[in-house]
Amino acid sequence: MKKRVLRLTAVFLIAFVLISGIDILSVHAETPYRTYTVDGYGYVQETQTAYLAHATITKFGDKFLDTPSDLYVTENGEIYVADTGNGRIIVGDLEGNLIKVIGEGTLISPKGVFVTEENNHVYVADRDAAAVFEFDENGQVVNQYTKPNSPLYGDNLDFLPIKVVVNEAGVMYIVCESNTNGIVEISPTDGGTFLGYFGTNFADQSIQTIIYRAILTDAQRAKMASNIPSTPDNLAIDKKGLIYTVTRGDKSKTLKRLNIAGKNLIDPDSYDPIPAAVTAGNHDNVYVASQQGYIYEYNNDGDLLYVFGGLDDGTQRVGLSTLVTSIQVDQEDKIYILDSDKCQIQVYEPSEFTNLLHRALYLYSKGRYTESKEPLTEVLKMNSMFDYANQAMGRAYFQEENYDMALRYARLAKDYEGYSDAYWEIRNQWLKKNIVEALLVILAVYIVIRVVKFLDRKKQILAKPKAFWENCKQKKVVSNLLYAKYFMKHPIDGSYGIAREGRASWAAPSILLLIFTIEYIVNKYLCGFLWKNVREGRYDILSDIGVVVIVMAAVTACNYLVCTINEGEGTVKKIYTYFCYSLTPYIMLTPVAFVLTHVLTDNEAFLVTLVQLLMIGWLVVLLILSIKEVNNYTGKETFKIIALTLFTILIMALLIFIIYVLWAQVFEFINSIFGEVVYRLGY
Amino acid sequence: MAIKNKKVIAWILAAAMIAAAPNTISLAAQVEDAAAADEAEESGAQANGETVLDNGEVVMEGAVGKVDESEWVTLDDYELVAESSTYKMYLYEPRLSIILENKETGELLESTLNDAKDDGNSNKSWNGYMKSGIVIQAIVGTVNTYQVDLLTCDNTIEVTKTENGFSAKVFFTEYQFGLTVNVSLEEDQLIVNIPDDSIIEQKEGSYISMISLYPFMGYTFLDDEEGYMLIPDGNGALIHLNNKEGRYSTGFSQMIYGKDIGFTDSATQALLWDEVDMVRSANQVIAPIFGMAHTNQNLGYLAVVEKGDKRASVEAHPNGVMVNYNRCFARFLLRDIYIQPLNNSNSGTVTNVEADRTHTDLQVRYMLLSGEDANYSGMAVTYRNYLLDNGLVTIKDNGYNTRVDFLGTDREEFLMGTKAVTVTTVDNVEEIYKELQAAGISSMLSVYKGWQKGGIYNLPISKYKADSHIGGTGALTKLIKESEENNYHLYLYNDALRLNPSTNSSTFNVVKKVNKRTFKDEFWANVYKTFMYQTSKKSDSTLKKFVKSYTKKGVSNLAVEGISNTLFSSSSRGSFMTRYDCAADYESTLASIDENTNLILQQPFAYLWNYTDAFLDMPLGSSDYMYVDEEVPFLSMVLKGVIPMYSDYVNFEANKTEFFLQMIESGVYPSFYITYENSSALIYTNSSDLYSTEYNTYKDTIIEYDEKLREVAGMVDGALIIRHEKLDNGVTVVTYDNGVAIYVNYSGQEQTADGVTVPAMSYKVGEA
Repeated sequence: MKKRVLRLTAVFLIAFVLISGIDILSVHAETPYRTYTVDGYGYVQETQTAYLAHATITKFGDKFLDTPSDLYVTENGEIYVADTGNGRIIVGDLEGNLIKVIGEGTLISPKGVFVTEENNHVYVADRDAAAVFEFDENGQVVNQYTKPNSPLYGDNLDFLPIKVVVNEAGVMYIVCESNTNGIVEISPTDGGTFLGYFGTNFADQSIQTIIYRAILTDAQRAKMASNIPSTPDNLAIDKKGLIYTVTRGDKSKTLKRLNIAGKNLIDPDSYDPIPAAVTAGNHDNVYVASQQGYIYEYNNDGDLLYVFGGLDDGTQRVGLSTLVTSIQVDQEDKIYILDSDKCQIQVYEPSEFTNLLHRALYLYSKGRYTESKEPLTEVLKMNSMFDYANQAMGRAYFQEENYDMALRYARLAKDYEGYSDAYWEIRNQWLKKNIVEALLVILAVYIVIRVVKFLDRKKQILAKPKAFWENCKQKKVVSNLLYAKYFMKHPIDGSYGIAREGRASWAAPSILLLIFTIEYIVNKYLCGFLWKNVREGRYDILSDIGVVVIVMAAVTACNYLVCTINEGEGTVKKIYTYFCYSLTPYIMLTPVAFVLTHVLTDNEAFLVTLVQLLMIGWLVVLLILSIKEVNNYTGKETFKIIALTLFTILIMALLIFIIYVLWAQVFEFINSIFGEVVYRLGY
Repeated sequence: MAIKNKKVIAWILAAAMIAAAPNTISLAAQVEDAAAADEAEESGAQANGETVLDNGEVVMEGAVGKVDESEWVTLDDYELVAESSTYKMYLYEPRLSIILENKETGELLESTLNDAKDDGNSNKSWNGYMKSGIVIQAIVGTVNTYQVDLLTCDNTIEVTKTENGFSAKVFFTEYQFGLTVNVSLEEDQLIVNIPDDSIIEQKEGSYISMISLYPFMGYTFLDDEEGYMLIPDGNGALIHLNNKEGRYSTGFSQMIYGKDIGFTDSATQALLWDEVDMVRSANQVIAPIFGMAHTNQNLGYLAVVEKGDKRASVEAHPNGVMVNYNRCFARFLLRDIYIQPLNNSNSGTVTNVEADRTHTDLQVRYMLLSGEDANYSGMAVTYRNYLLDNGLVTIKDNGYNTRVDFLGTDREEFLMGTKAVTVTTVDNVEEIYKELQAAGISSMLSVYKGWQKGGIYNLPISKYKADSHIGGTGALTKLIKESEENNYHLYLYNDALRLNPSTNSSTFNVVKKVNKRTFKDEFWANVYKTFMYQTSKKSDSTLKKFVKSYTKKGVSNLAVEGISNTLFSSSSRGSFMTRYDCAADYESTLASIDENTNLILQQPFAYLWNYTDAFLDMPLGSSDYMYVDEEVPFLSMVLKGVIPMYSDYVNFEANKTEFFLQMIESGVYPSFYITYENSSALIYTNSSDLYSTEYNTYKDTIIEYDEKLREVAGMVDGALIIRHEKLDNGVTVVTYDNGVAIYVNYSGQEQTADGVTVPAMSYKVGEA
C-alpha cells in the first residue's frame, strides 16, 4: 500500500517535470474539413466552420496511449482515458500533463471508463476481466461487479462489459459485447443486483420480413439470416439522468434518448451509418461521433445543427480521424475525440459562430425568445441560410406577435407548424380588417350578374355571345368535351354513349388529358406551402409529363389487351376515351383544392383532404363503372378485368426492365471491345 | 479488388475475339498480372513492420545494423572538386556524395547519410537509399516500385571534373538505363543538373519513373540539430527538426503546381452519406521551393527547382517516417503508370506505362545560407532576390486597395430549364461604390463574377456580353470606365479553364485523361454537377476572342482564374500533352493577353508571376498537416512590395480577429465577396455555398478594415520585408527595409516586445 502511494507521488512529480505531449496550433485559418448543416428538406448545406482543431494530445507526461477505447472528461477538466492496450486508466489534463494512473495490474483490457462527478469514483468496464471495477479517487478498487447470477440475465450469456455509465443513485448501465438483450442495468446494492435489461432495440420488422415469415415454411425460416436486434454500440448519460445510446444501422433509431422508463424521446433527422460514441452537451444539445471521424451536433429535438470532421485521406491533417472510439464535451464546449488508431485525443474548440448559436440555444430553451433574437440575428448575419436559426427566429417573432416576419422565417426554415400558426394569425387579422369590404365585393359581383341577366331578358344584350356558344357546341370536339361533364354525373349513361353513340374520340379526351397534366403540374409546384411535397425552387416537369404519358399508355394498352381476350367490347379508342373522361373529377375539383391550399392552415387541413378524397372516390367509381359498361361486363368480371390489367402492367414493367438490362449488357460488351481496341491501338 | 470481374471480362473478350485468340489470351494474363502486382504492393506496405523505441527512434524489420567503424567512408575518402570564395565542395565518387564546407565557419553540409551517423535501424534497401546521391524509382513491366540506387544496384560511374564542379555519367547495368549528373558550385550556390539528352533507356520494359536528387541534402538525425525544413504548403510552413517519436507515417509529398488530373482518378474519396465530400483538398504547391535550416550551426539552404519543376514533387519527411532522419528534396517524375479501363463500369482494367517519358532538363539550385541568413527570413529574401535578378517577377504597383468582389447572377432550375437568380446588378455595384466612396474608401479593386450572359457557370466566356439581368453590356462598360476614374478598379472575371457541358457543347476541345477518358470535374451542387476542362489550345482561342471583343469597347480590366493554377497531362486524338506543354500554352496565352489588358490572376503559379498585376487569394494558412509545427507567411514575405496580394474572402472565416491580424502580419490586403441581395436567394443555385455575402451585413466591416489596413499599408508602401520573427510571448515582429517594424500580438494578454506594448489580439506599428 505504501509502495503504491510512493509511486503515485513519483508519478505526480514526473508529470510536472516532463515535457507535455501536446501540439497547440498557434494560428489556424482554414480547417481541412468542411462543416455542413441540414435544411428543412433534409438537404445538406455548407456553413461556417463550427469547431476548429485546437490541440492534439498524443501523450500524458511520458505515457503514450496504446489503442485507447474510451474517454471521460470531468467538469473540472480532468481527462480519463481507458488505455486499453496498456491495461490502465490514464488521468491527465488538457495541457498533456499526467495526473495519475489507475488500475495498473488490476485491469486487463479496460474498454469503458466513467467518472462520477460528486466523489470522483472511477468505473471501468473491463472486457477481458469480465467485470466492472469501481475505483475511489485514490485509485483503490472499491467494488468489483461480475456476471449477475440472476436467472433473468441468461445463463448462457457471457458478461463482457465494454461501456459503462452510472447515474446519481449509483446504478450502472453497462453495454456488453454480444449481448443483444439490451443495456445491463445493475444496482450497487448487495454487491451488485441485476435490475434488468434497459433500452432494448427491436429487430427490424420490414414488410418484406413479415411477408417472408408468413409464406415460408419453418425449415426455410430457420435458414433465413437471423433477425436479432442490434446491441447499442455506446451510451452516455446527461445531468438529468437521461441515457443516450447509439446503435449502428438502426436508421433514425441510431441515436436514442431514453428516459428512466426506457422510452425514446428523440427523433434525429440525420444519422450516421457507423456511430461510435455519443455525449450530451451543455445546452440541451447532443453530440454523436462516427467511427469515420464525422462529428454531429443535434439540438434538443434531434435537428442536426452541424456535421463536420472526416476521415483522414492519408494526408495526415489535423482534425481528421481514422478510427474514433469516444467523444466528450467539456464545460467550455470543447470537443474531445479519441482516435484509437492514431492513439491520440483531438480537441476542437467552438468558433465565434458556434458560441453565438449556443447562446441562442440556451436563451431559447429558457423561453427568453426576445433576448434570443440578438444572437440569432448575429448567426443569420454570418449565415442567412442556417436552418435552425431561421426556425428559432420565426418562433421568436411569433411570440412577439410579429406574424409577417414569423411567416417569412418559418418558410425559410421549412417549419410547417410555425408557418401554419403564423398564417392563421395573419389570415385572422386580414379577415378582421377586410371582412366588410370582402362581403361588399361579393355583393357587388352578385348584383352585376343579376343586372346583366335582367338586361339580357329585356334587351337580349347577350344574344350574340350565346349564339356563338351554341354554334361552338355544334362542333364535335366541344360537344365531346362537354360530354365529359355529363359522363361524370351519369357514368352508366355516359358509358353507353361512349360504347354505342359514337362518343369515343381522340381529340376531346386528349384535350382533357392535357388539362389534367397542366393542373397536376401547377398543383404540384404552386400549391400552398403547407401542402407542398416538393422542394421549393425545384422543378422536374419533364419527368412529370413523362409519368402521365407512360401511365396512360400503359393502362390503355394493358386494359385493351386484357379486354380483347375476355370478350370485352371496348376498342382502343373507347378505352382511351373512358380513361381520360374518368379524370374529369380531378379536373373539376383540383382548382377548388388548389385555392383551398392557399387560404387554409393546418387546423382546417381536413377540408382539403375531404376534397381530395371525394375526387379520388369519384374517379375510382367512374373507372369501374365505365370499364364495366363499355365492355359490357358483369360486376364480377369487371373486378377480374381490373386485377388482370394491373397484373399485366406489372408483367410489362418487368419485361421492359429485363430487356433494358440485357441491352445494357450488350452495350457494355460492345464498349469492352472498344476499350480493348483503344488499348491495343494506343489511340 | 474485383479479380473475379476481371476474369469474367477477360473471358468474354476471349470468346468474342476468338479470331485474335493469341492476343486476347495474353491480355487476360496481363490483367491478372496487374492485379497480382497491386496486391503485392499493398501487402508490401503492411509488411514494413516498425517498432518505436523509447527515445523515439524507429527500427525497421530486417535492419542491417551499424556499419563497422573500419568500413566508414569519412571525409578523408572525399576529394576536393571545387572551391568558391565561400565554400569548398568534396566528392566521394562511388556514392556521388558531396560535402560542402563553409570556409568561414567550417560547418559541413552533407548530401548523403554519413556512415558514422548511420543508426543501423534501416533495412538494406533504405540503407542504399540514404547513402546514394541519386535514387531512381524504376518501372519494370508495369510495376513501378523498383528502387535503383548507387549502393545496392550494379552501376558504372564516369566522373569528369569541370571548371567548378564535376559531371558524372552513371549507368545502371541491370536496368540498362543511365544519366549524367552535373554538379557545380557557383559562389554560394550549388547547382545540380541532369540534361535531358543524357537520360538513356536502352531496354524495352525497363524505364526510369522517378529521380530523387540528393534525397538527404542537409539531413539531420532525430533532434540532433535545431532547425526546420521549409515546405511550400499554403503560404509557407515549417517542420521542426525535433524528435517526432515515430508519430507520423508520411511526410510532405506534393506535386509542384498541383496534382495531375490526367493521371489521378477522382472517384475514390470517402463521402458522408454517399454524397457529401467533407474533406477539403490540401493547398497546391504554388512555388517550386523547399528549404532546410540548421539554426544552431547557422547553416541552411533554400532550394529552387529550376528545371523540370512542372512534373516534380517536393518531399519533406521528418524523422520517424520510415527512417530516423529529417530530409527534404525534389523528386522528378519522368514516366508514370496509369489504369486503362476497358469498359464503362470500370470492372475490367489494365495497367499501362506511359508511352514516352517527359523530355526536359532537370535542375535544382541550392542557395546556401549561413550566419544570420540561415533562417526562413533569409530564405525569403534570397528567393525574392533570385526572382528579381532573373526577371521572374517585376515590381508592380503595390498601392493599397480593399478588394470587394461581386456576384452578378447564377441560375436555378425552373420548369424545363433554368432561370436567373440575380443578386448584384450593375446599378447595385454603382450604389455600393458611391456609398463606400462617401465613407472614405479612396481606392478599390473588384472582381465581378457572374456578369456574363447565362450566369457565372455559363462557361467558357468567349464574348463580351453581359447578362441582361444585371443591366446589359452597355451599362457594365459604362460602370467600369466611370469607376476607373475614381480609382475603383472593376475587373471582369473569366475562368478560361472550365466548360459547362450543360450550357455549351463539349464534343470537341475538352480534356481527356491519359487513358482517353474525358476528364469530369464532379461537384455536389444544385444545378450543374459536372464540369470539364477546355484544352489549352481552346482556352487560348476563347480567351483571346473574349479579350478582343472586350478591349474593343475600351475596357481592359481582366481577372483570370482556372488556367492560372491548373496543370495537367492529357491525350487528344492519339497524341499526348505533358504538363510542360500545358504550362507553355498557358504562359504564352497569358503573356499575350497581358499586353492588351490589365491582367490579374487568381493564385497564380510561380511561372506566371510576371504576368499578373495582383496576386488574388493568397493563402494565409497551411493545409494543417499534422507534422507541420509552424506556419510562416513565406510567400507573403517574398512578394510583399513586389506584387500586391489579396487574401481569401473574409466572409467565410470563422475567426475574424485572427484573420485580420494575419493580414496585418503578412502585408496581404483584405477581400470580401459581396452580393447586394441576401445570400438566401442563392439557396437553389450552384452558389449555395455562399452562405453569407449580403452587402448590408459587411458594409461596416469593409470600411473598418479599409481604414486600418490602409494606414498600415501606407507606412510600408513599396518596402520589402527583411525579417520575420516569432517571439516566445506570442508576438510576431515583421521588419521592413524602410525601418518600420510591425508587432502583432496573437496572445490573449497584453505583451511587450522591443519596448513596444501591444494589447491582446492586436497590433502596433513601430520603428525597428
